[in-house]
Amino acid sequence: MSGMEIFVLWLEAFITLAIFSFLYKDNPVYHMVESVFAGLSAGYYIGLYWKSIILQQLWEPMTRADNPKWWLFIPGIFGLMMFTRLWPKYSWISRIALAFVMGSTAGVFLITQLHGLVLPQMQKTMLPLVNSKGLEASFLAVIVVIGVISTLIYFYFSKEHKGFLGVTAKVGIWFIMISFGAHFGYTVMGRVSLLIGRVQFLIEDWIGSF
Amino acid sequence: MNFWNKIDTLDRRWVYLLVAISVILPFILPVKLPVYITPETQQLYDAVESLPDSSIVMLTFDYYPSTIAETEPMSRVALHHLFRKNIRIVTVTTVPLGGPSMAEQVTREMAEQYGKVYGVDFVNLGYKANYVAVLKGMGSSIEAIYPTDNLSTPLSELPLMNEVKNYDDIDFIYVVADNGIVDYWISIVNALYGTPVGCGVTAVMAPKFYAFVSAGQMTGLLGGMKGAAEYELLLGQPARATTGMDAQSLMHLLIIGLVLMGNIGYFAGRRQKGKKA
Repeated sequence: MSGMEIFVLWLEAFITLAIFSFLYKDNPVYHMVESVFAGLSAGYYIGLYWKSIILQQLWEPMTRADNPKWWLFIPGIFGLMMFTRLWPKYSWISRIALAFVMGSTAGVFLITQLHGLVLPQMQKTMLPLVNSKGLEASFLAVIVVIGVISTLIYFYFSKEHKGFLGVTAKVGIWFIMISFGAHFGYTVMGRVSLLIGRVQFLIEDWIGSF
Repeated sequence: MNFWNKIDTLDRRWVYLLVAISVILPFILPVKLPVYITPETQQLYDAVESLPDSSIVMLTFDYYPSTIAETEPMSRVALHHLFRKNIRIVTVTTVPLGGPSMAEQVTREMAEQYGKVYGVDFVNLGYKANYVAVLKGMGSSIEAIYPTDNLSTPLSELPLMNEVKNYDDIDFIYVVADNGIVDYWISIVNALYGTPVGCGVTAVMAPKFYAFVSAGQMTGLLGGMKGAAEYELLLGQPARATTGMDAQSLMHLLIIGLVLMGNIGYFAGRRQKGKKA
């Protein structure tokens, strides 16, 4: 292991322990590391966006000798228009650029969300309740159909949830609660995994290098 | 003050200590608890396994450094599997912070193990801003979106990229992600271009995507570190995710115990207050 690699390993271990120190008590070392992270991230983003957007996607294609994309000056001007928000008197100019962004985003998302998410998911909910794959598949299909209908009824607010509608909405709540439970369980598992990752680094990589 | 009252007012730092012991102990005294393969992991493994020799797979590194405990083992198992099967890889990332450098580091490290050559067997396209435009644009021309690779080499100088013009030339997309970008790989790339997509996601995200697997919009799913551990076992190469599973199981037992104790303490306290009133 080179000197630089050892330095990076120890620095990483120090930063991890400094962040963990907050669990015992708030302290200046934790705040220092937190500030370093915030500053580094801001600097990294500025550098990255300057290179990957301003230079690579705007300036270089616009100014190259072979087949220059001169029309890119239009989005370039739109980008500059966004900065007028800094002067309240001229901030209305930024709305022109924003309108373009909102319009194009809505157009793209309408198609992709409808075609890619809503319709296929609806289609796969329309299941045959008696399935040729066997009893288990039929049972699961019934659960899916009941779950979808009762949850949708729970979110139907134009009629008071009484009688049949009320009972169905209550079934919907149960489905929602079970779903929340599954999400919460997975969230705990995910957070635990992140802790395991750091402990694994400290034990196997850092202490293991002694 | 009885035991349950004490539990109710326990300093949370004791809980942190218990958590630390539960996570550290399995690394010192490993138990090697069994890990079972879920159908979703098996499906993703089978999908890669069924790809013919020299196929081209797009592997994404759509994750931030904060989740590498879960996601990096997934990237490693994917690379193991793909390189082992002699499949050519194009890596991309839609995440600016860490994504391009992690793709570069992990892919080159794994390529060295398998003797793979950059530009011929694998290419790292790196990062481009505005993921919706990037994902849609690659459907028409990858070169229009990425004129150069991550290290600024023009794509025309990379032999592999002469065969890959758009999604039509890609046999499978293996997404490893920790954010909402997965939705767009499904709703844009899979839905509009028909390229099969398999995913490895963080545990927090996993429940949402089971619906996509059962709807056939996603070909297999790895959920968190557990998913990566399952894949490691399928490959017969247990690594970091597998060794982390003991700590994961012990921590889950501890959390279940703490939830039960907290609830019993709460109800015992309420009962005691009721008696006093």
